[in-house]
Amino acid sequence: MNPEVRERLLQATYDCVARWGLAKTTVEDAARQAGVSRATVYRYFPGGRDELISAVVGWEFARFFLRLYEEVSDAEGLEEVMERGIVFAHHALVEHEVLQRILVTEPEILLPRLTTEAEGTHTLVAAFLAPYLVRHGMAEGTDLDIAADFLARMVLSYISSPGRWDLDDPEQVALLVRSELLAGIR
Amino acid sequence: MGAAAARSEPGFPGALTGGREGVVRHLGADDRSSTRVRIVDGALRCLARSGIAKTTVDDIAREAGLSRATVYRTFPRGREGILAAVVETEVARLFSALAVAMGEATDLEDVLVAGMVEAARRMRSHGALVYLLEHEPGTVLPYLTFAELDRVLLVAGDLAAPFFARWLEPAEASRAAEWAVRIVLAYCSGPPAGTDLGDPDDARALVRAFVLPGILALRVDAAGGSPEPDHQADDSTRHRRPLTKGAARP
Repeated sequence: MNPEVRERLLQATYDCVARWGLAKTTVEDAARQAGVSRATVYRYFPGGRDELISAVVGWEFARFFLRLYEEVSDAEGLEEVMERGIVFAHHALVEHEVLQRILVTEPEILLPRLTTEAEGTHTLVAAFLAPYLVRHGMAEGTDLDIAADFLARMVLSYISSPGRWDLDDPEQVALLVRSELLAGIR
Repeated sequence: MGAAAARSEPGFPGALTGGREGVVRHLGADDRSSTRVRIVDGALRCLARSGIAKTTVDDIAREAGLSRATVYRTFPRGREGILAAVVETEVARLFSALAVAMGEATDLEDVLVAGMVEAARRMRSHGALVYLLEHEPGTVLPYLTFAELDRVLLVAGDLAAPFFARWLEPAEASRAAEWAVRIVLAYCSGPPAGTDLGDPDDARALVRAFVLPGILALRVDAAGGSPEPDHQADDSTRHRRPLTKGAARP
C-alpha cells in the first residue's frame, strides 16, 4: 500500500463530501476525483463506501488535531495549553464550513461517527493531555487516568457546546479553565 | 420549540426544549391526561423494542390498548405529536425523580452525587433511549450535540438550578446545574468510562475531586478574585467547608 495514494484518495473523498454531502458520495466519485480505478479504492478500503466515509472523518479529525498540536506547542503551562486549545478548537469547529453544512443537511449520518462511534477522539484527547498533567503537576492524590478522562470529556463537550460560557471572551475562557476544568487537578 | 421542531428528519420533535409549561402538563390526572400517559407509555415500549423508524401510530395504539381514533383524538399530529409528548413526559419524569433524590441531600456534595447517580442510572436503564442510541443514533444525537446541546444545557440547567438553591446563589446554582448536566451527558454518552456515574462511590469521588473545587473556584472569582476569609481554612477542609450543611445559605 502506498501512503500517498491513500492520502490522495482521502483528499478526493473529502472534496466529494464537501461538494455533494456524505450520502451522495460514492466509491465511483472518489475514484474519479482521485484519478484511480474503483478496484484501487477497494484495495485501500475493502469496506467500500462506508469505510471510506469513516476514514475521511478520521482523516479530517487528524488534520484538525495536528493544527491544534501546533497551536499549543509553545504554550507555557497546562492552563495555557487548555485555554489556547479550547479557543482554537471551538473556532475550528464553528468555522469549519463542510462540518457545519453537513451538521445541517446530514446530522444523522455524521454525528454517530463524531460521537458514539468515535472512541478514538476521546482517547486521543486524553492521551494528548496526560503528559501535560504529568509535567505540570497535579494535586496530591489525583489519579492521572481519571483526571485525563475527565478533562477529555469536558473539553470535547465545551468546544462543541459552550453553553453559558462565552469562548470569545479570554477572561471567561481563563475562568472556565481555572474552575470547571483544573480547579480539582492543580 | 424553534429549530428543533422544524427539522424534517424523523426524530424527537421539540427535544428537551418544551419549557416548563409542557414539562408539568402530564402530571394532571383527568381522563385526557391519563389517555395521554397510556399512549406515551405505549410509545416508549414500542421505541424500546423497535425504534422510531419502524414504530407506527397503529403499533402505539395496539401497545396502549386504545383505538387508532382515540390516539389521533389525543394527538392530532399523530406520530410526531406522540414523540414530542414522549420527550416532554420523560424529561418531566426525570426531573421529578431528581427532585426526590436530591431533596433528601443534606449538603452540596450529597446533592451533586444524588443528582448525578439518579440521572446516570435513569439514562442507562432507559429502554427507548438505549435502543435508539444503539440502533438509530441519528434520531437522538442531533439533540445532544453542538448548538442543540447548548439549548438542552440551558433548559436543563435552569430546571436543575433550584435543587442547588439551598447552598448556592442563583447565578452559581444555574452554572453548577448546567455543569452537572454536562458531566452526566459527557460520562453517559462517550466511550465507557473508568468512572461509573451510576455508582455512588465513583460519583462521590468525581464530585470531591473535580466538581466541588470547581464550584468553589467560581465562587471565589465572583467574590473579587481572592478567597473570602471564611474560605481560608486549612487545605483539607478548604474546598468543602463553605459548601456543606453547616454553612448552608439561609
